[in-house]
Amino acid sequence: MSQKIGKQKMFKRIKVSYLLIMVLLLCSGALSAQRVQFNASVSGNDVATGEPFRVTFAINGNGSRFTPPDFTGFQILSGPNVSSSITSINGNTTVSNSYSYDLVAVKEGILTIGSAFIMVDERRLNTNPIRIRVSKGQPMQQNSQQQQQRQEEMIQDNTEDLSKALLLRAEVNKTNVYQGEQILLSYKLYTRAGIVDSRVDKLPDLNGFWTEDVKNQPQQVQWRTETYKGLKYNVADVKQMILFAEHSGDIKINPFEMTFIVRVAAPARDIMEQFFGSYKDVKYAVKSIPVVVHVKPLPEAGKPAGFSGAVGKFSIQARLDKKELKANETLNYSVKLTGSGNIKLINTLNVNLPADFEKYDPKVTDTIKEETNGVRGNRTYSYLLIPRRQGNYTIDPLEFSYFDTSTKKYVTIATKAFAVKVNKGLVENNVTAFSDADQKDIKKLDKDIRSIKTGNAGLNKIGERFYGSQGYWLLLLSGPVLCALAFGFRNRNRKINSDVVRVKNRRAGKVAARHLANAQKQLAAKNTAAFYEAIFKGLYGYLSDKLNLAVADLNKESIVDGLKDREICDQLITKLLETLDLCEMARYAPVTQLSELEVLEKAKGIINEIEDEIK
Amino acid sequence: MKLKMKLNSPKRILYLILFTVLPKLSFGSQQPDALYTAANSYYAKGQFQHALDNYKKVLAGGTTSAALYYNLGNASYKTGDLASALLYYEKARKLAPNDDDIYANIRLANSKTSDKVDEAPELFLTSWWKAVYLSASADTFAILSIVLVLAGSALLVTYFFAHAVMLKKAAFYSAVVLLCSGLAVIFIAGRQVSYFEHNRQGIVFNSPVAVKSAPSDDARNLFIIHSGTKVSIIDIKKDWIRITLNNGNEGWMKVEDLKEI
Repeated sequence: MSQKIGKQKMFKRIKVSYLLIMVLLLCSGALSAQRVQFNASVSGNDVATGEPFRVTFAINGNGSRFTPPDFTGFQILSGPNVSSSITSINGNTTVSNSYSYDLVAVKEGILTIGSAFIMVDERRLNTNPIRIRVSKGQPMQQNSQQQQQRQEEMIQDNTEDLSKALLLRAEVNKTNVYQGEQILLSYKLYTRAGIVDSRVDKLPDLNGFWTEDVKNQPQQVQWRTETYKGLKYNVADVKQMILFAEHSGDIKINPFEMTFIVRVAAPARDIMEQFFGSYKDVKYAVKSIPVVVHVKPLPEAGKPAGFSGAVGKFSIQARLDKKELKANETLNYSVKLTGSGNIKLINTLNVNLPADFEKYDPKVTDTIKEETNGVRGNRTYSYLLIPRRQGNYTIDPLEFSYFDTSTKKYVTIATKAFAVKVNKGLVENNVTAFSDADQKDIKKLDKDIRSIKTGNAGLNKIGERFYGSQGYWLLLLSGPVLCALAFGFRNRNRKINSDVVRVKNRRAGKVAARHLANAQKQLAAKNTAAFYEAIFKGLYGYLSDKLNLAVADLNKESIVDGLKDREICDQLITKLLETLDLCEMARYAPVTQLSELEVLEKAKGIINEIEDEIK
Repeated sequence: MKLKMKLNSPKRILYLILFTVLPKLSFGSQQPDALYTAANSYYAKGQFQHALDNYKKVLAGGTTSAALYYNLGNASYKTGDLASALLYYEKARKLAPNDDDIYANIRLANSKTSDKVDEAPELFLTSWWKAVYLSASADTFAILSIVLVLAGSALLVTYFFAHAVMLKKAAFYSAVVLLCSGLAVIFIAGRQVSYFEHNRQGIVFNSPVAVKSAPSDDARNLFIIHSGTKVSIIDIKKDWIRITLNNGNEGWMKVEDLKEI
């Protein structure tokens, strides 16, 4: 019907086709079904230039090597379009094939489409030539424009009465819903006129909704009668959809637009038309009236933590195929979610599985039906699990929360928990003995701050620090101060000690004098050995005190060194040493060079001289 | 007169009660250590806001410690106040620069802030030296220095009074070593104190904060930083602070957007 045909020609064509049908009906008895026939037919014998028509070559059997005729004077729009059909009735199989061409006559006059040939069982069949009368037509472009104009006029003419004869209505079963609640949207066609053809112009873009087409509708449109505004209509559901509002607020469902070609009665013009009835086909565009749906947001109060947007009514069931298995074997954990609502929008379930289980993405199987009473069905999540370590594990209950639209409350349902016993798995043969294949990296599950410090707070005044405080410096200084004190104390001791030497020094002369006096006594008593010993002691004692040396440390060298240090002249030292030698010798052997008195005087003289010279 | 006296006497009694009983109520039951323990138990129970309030009371009482700041940081973190958490952690770090827990929590809290600031690499000598003087708290260094100096002094005294030459020698050299290390420890403690005094830092407490090229509202926006970012303070001019980020970017921001550590 999309072919654009003028009013006049259309009527002509109808007449021709009626004639053809009558002829065919009359001839039908004469035609044998079993004989292979090869016929040519055209959609119209009278055409205008630029008007497309169809020529069909049909054969009721299998043919081969089809040779089309020469289409001189015609332009081929499309073809050959080959169609074949096989029918089998009571064991008799009939095959028919047809080859058709869409043609346009290029020049006017009487044109002939020649014979087409085909080979059937070594026989060559041909069709009869067809004569076509081509009249002068409008150039193609203009023609169609004019036709369109005429059609538009026609629509305008008929809009008044057709608006009551043909209606398109959008209906929703609920206008006040919660976000995510399902709504059934039906586009209904109300008609009192015969519809020849229909075309959907514009499907509404249902922004703000997730849509599901209702799928269990029968292929054929089912008509029923309904009374609307006092008139009886034939009603059919053109399209039914289930909508889920995606956000809250007032959401407008835009009009659904369709164009129909309606057959309306037309006044008869001749006998044939009176006999068969007369009508014309009218193009008519209809729009549905927009509908507004008020969507309420889901209540915040009592919203469970794990709520993921499921709205409707659901039940949940979990199943585990094994209770005991070996490590590295597979385990199937399936969760079946049954119910009605936005089940397709539920993405993942937050399953709590032991961390030692290797988990793969679930296989999701849907058996969901979109029916007029809502989207319902079940969705099964099958998890393939592989426990990697032996032990006793628990699969925690899986909690699922949804918003129940009937009670207007959140509901949380849970599956039951499962206990799984994982035995030691078989060690794979290809694992070498030294490998630590059984060891795994410790999985870091989460991050958190380290916990607080308990125990002694060690509180101090703000800004107070031990370092730099008075106490600190005092304590720090105490060490050096102690040292300084100790140093002073030692020095004082030394000083006192050194005073003892000076005293000794001072008293050396006197001590020596006493020894020498003792010597004089021994001399008077003629005790020579004791005399020399006394002189020796006197000299040694004197030197010991003077040079601050122990008597034991005294020998010639130390005496010489000590005296030289104290700037005593060498002559005196020599004299002293001679005297000492003499005394020492005289203690064991009699001395002749000097008399005892002389030795005494000499010793006295030496002491006096040292006393004078010593610093 | 008599009437006045009668009116006055209940007032006096009231004042007496107020002045004698109230301080006891406020200080008697809220000893800092008791508050601190109470806060810890709140934290353990997961009542972080209560814990935070109690820790803050301890702080308001004028006492503090690294542990208190650390726990304050944890409580702030748990209540979702990341910027405060970082501020307290940094304060805790100042008191205990060698505490591993503080560093770990600073790292974690920093990873949750919106600004990622890559630190400009330091010369390895600088970082080594820093590791040395931040290896203990200043007070630990102070105690160590006192012990070293006192021990050195004792050995020196031994040297003064010892008669045996070997003992004298040993005492002298070890005294020199101990006193020198004592001085070194004092120096290190001083370095730490001056490091924290000269490296003044702050935490951004507003989001977003535009850092400007000059201390004026009309100046150009150089970059935007967010709450929780640590900045170094170079200069403070009345309402404006000149800051630098760890990656070297510099600019001016308002005083009220920053809290100094």
